[in-house]
Amino acid sequence: MMDASIAATGPQRIGRKAAGRHSPSPLPWLMPLILVLGAFYLYPLIDVFRFAFTNVSLLGTDEEYTLQTIVTTLSKPELLQILWVTFVFTASSVVVQQFFGLFIALIVLHSEKRRLFGSTIVRTTALVAWVVPGIAGGIIWKMLFNEAPFGGLNSLLRLIGVPAVQWLSDPHMVMWSVVISNVWRGTAFSMVVMYAASKAIDPVLYEAAEVDGANPWQRLIYITLPQLRTAILVNMILITIQTLNTFDAIISLTGGGPGRATEVLSLYTFNVVFRNYDLAAGAVLSILMLTISLGLALIYARFLPKGEPT
Amino acid sequence: MRNTALILALAATTFLAAPHDSPAQEAITGDIVGKSDAPNKLVFRMTTDGPRNNEPAYAQGYSKLFNDFIGKHSDWQIELQMMSGDIGQEQARMLEQAKSGSAPDCAAVDSFVLPLFKKAGVLQSFSPYFTKEEIDQLFPFIREGITGSNGNIYAWWWSTDLRVLYRNKEIVPDAPQTWDDLKKAALSSVEQGMEGVLFNGGRYEGTTFDWLANFWAQGGKLVDDDGKPIFGEGENRDKFIKAVNYYRDLVESGAAPKRVATIGNYDDFNAAAAAGTTALFVGGNWQYAQLKTALDADEFAKWAFSPLPGPAADQRSTGTGGWTVAAFSKDNEKVKLCAELARDIYMGPANALQEQLPTRADLYDKYEVFSSDANKTFAAALKFGQARPGAPVYPEISNQIQIMMGKVLTGVQPTEAAVDEAFGASLSAFKRS
Repeated sequence: MMDASIAATGPQRIGRKAAGRHSPSPLPWLMPLILVLGAFYLYPLIDVFRFAFTNVSLLGTDEEYTLQTIVTTLSKPELLQILWVTFVFTASSVVVQQFFGLFIALIVLHSEKRRLFGSTIVRTTALVAWVVPGIAGGIIWKMLFNEAPFGGLNSLLRLIGVPAVQWLSDPHMVMWSVVISNVWRGTAFSMVVMYAASKAIDPVLYEAAEVDGANPWQRLIYITLPQLRTAILVNMILITIQTLNTFDAIISLTGGGPGRATEVLSLYTFNVVFRNYDLAAGAVLSILMLTISLGLALIYARFLPKGEPT
Repeated sequence: MRNTALILALAATTFLAAPHDSPAQEAITGDIVGKSDAPNKLVFRMTTDGPRNNEPAYAQGYSKLFNDFIGKHSDWQIELQMMSGDIGQEQARMLEQAKSGSAPDCAAVDSFVLPLFKKAGVLQSFSPYFTKEEIDQLFPFIREGITGSNGNIYAWWWSTDLRVLYRNKEIVPDAPQTWDDLKKAALSSVEQGMEGVLFNGGRYEGTTFDWLANFWAQGGKLVDDDGKPIFGEGENRDKFIKAVNYYRDLVESGAAPKRVATIGNYDDFNAAAAAGTTALFVGGNWQYAQLKTALDADEFAKWAFSPLPGPAADQRSTGTGGWTVAAFSKDNEKVKLCAELARDIYMGPANALQEQLPTRADLYDKYEVFSSDANKTFAAALKFGQARPGAPVYPEISNQIQIMMGKVLTGVQPTEAAVDEAFGASLSAFKRS
């Protein structure tokens, strides 16, 4: 019995000892990564939280720890409007990008299946917009939306007898102009995600549906969309965070105006830091952005499949 | 004979291949001016006013100026750091670097943010390096702008500018003298197929600064002596509202297109002038040279400029800005070199090179380029010039005016309410600072 017991525990003990001798501590291996992540990711984040509890600005005021900055910044009368503008911009961009991304991906897949000429051109054309930097995209659309007699889109409209549109000077229209420019740039990302996910759907499902006599609309509703559910949610999380952080395209297109008509939270934060030199208020607004992004990501994540029951 | 010819050919080839006496290409290597092994080094952060200017003639002119300068300071090497076009962001970043001790030794500082740099206490005094006579020659508003509360000067303001009304003489023969004159002229230009008078009205510093002349012309004051905003109180409020309503009326009457609320760039006016779609615009003096380059000689001849109209012909003002050179280094030798750089390269030579208005009356006579009719007129108009107030709260006031202007020009908010909102926000920013 005794021998058996020794026999049962002995190798384990020897194994652990051997593992202890040959497996080094993980710390030296992970330390460089921990240092890099700590220095370049964690430290700035901690510093932003620290700034939020101070009154630090670039104007030479002595730094003091206070809760006043948080109270003042979050109770500013313009903040509600900024949040509303941000909501409209983000929600519209995400919905339209998701729709167009899926639409283009399905068109490209079908044209590839039927070996139609031009599918690569369609795919590449959508991707071209994606590689254009935000600032450049804003400048391109500023030229197109220019309301001068020689402005791009209005010149085209006049050619076909349609009256000129006040793309940027009408406070009700300007938000949609900004959304159009953002969708133009962001659709390609959704298209790539949807294209890749659609490729992974088992063709047997479509063959079975065809045998059952399902029409294309039914195949989309009962096969494609349910199969793409995870990809759609992940894509929504990514493009929501991406859109919330967008400010380069807006700053070069409208600068946030006219008035505050297109001043989203990220641009407002940028203005507070770089125009008003208020680092502490900028830190509070950054944390607000972080909280909104995290909150949305958690809400989306709740709808992600939790794995099949066994 | 054949040998002689061969020797001559070799000599000629050697001569042609050898580096010639072209200092403009000798001392500047990449972003370094001077010898690579020079014992002393100065980091100079600059705008496009330097050897990296996009205009080849200016770039060449600056290269020569920098080479000549380094020729006199052969134990120094200057590293040139270029700022991007986003001046506001660049200046904010530099202020942050200065506070953390990592600013360049010497840099171009926009005159409109100079008060912030002075208040932050990050600039080194230039007083030991400029004579009292040199300082006294500066225009009073320039001298006031660079002087700190202790009487020392903390930068050298070398160029200034001003806003004027440009007009196409074929469409608008006479210079409008008053606000009413301008409205009539603009409406007349619209009847002739133009889009009326153009001005900056978007989210842009130029929107505030160009428009402020209309407020200043009435004697309005933005801030009091303590830097506290007062533009929304008492008589100032009335004058402010009157000046805003002047612009609002231009848009509502059709004398200016609604798109002015989207303009935040002086280049848009050049484009409209080149396309022949406008006959009137409020622009900077530097645009005169740009129009000369952009337009055919015949077209350019049609353009003239005049002082900005006022509420009455004798009530005039115009905004004056410009660039300074200032030192951040705590090393006295570097501060001295920075001051010498400001004097030898920028104060005079650079003004003449780029036709940027000098900040001293005597330089207008020294350089022939300023004897042209256009530059004489600009110089004369400087007497109506007014700089932005040297108050740290100015950037927030400017931001609020830009927001207010957008709301008023697009009809989103009544003028009075928009002005009161802008004033409240500016006051609240002042209390925080």
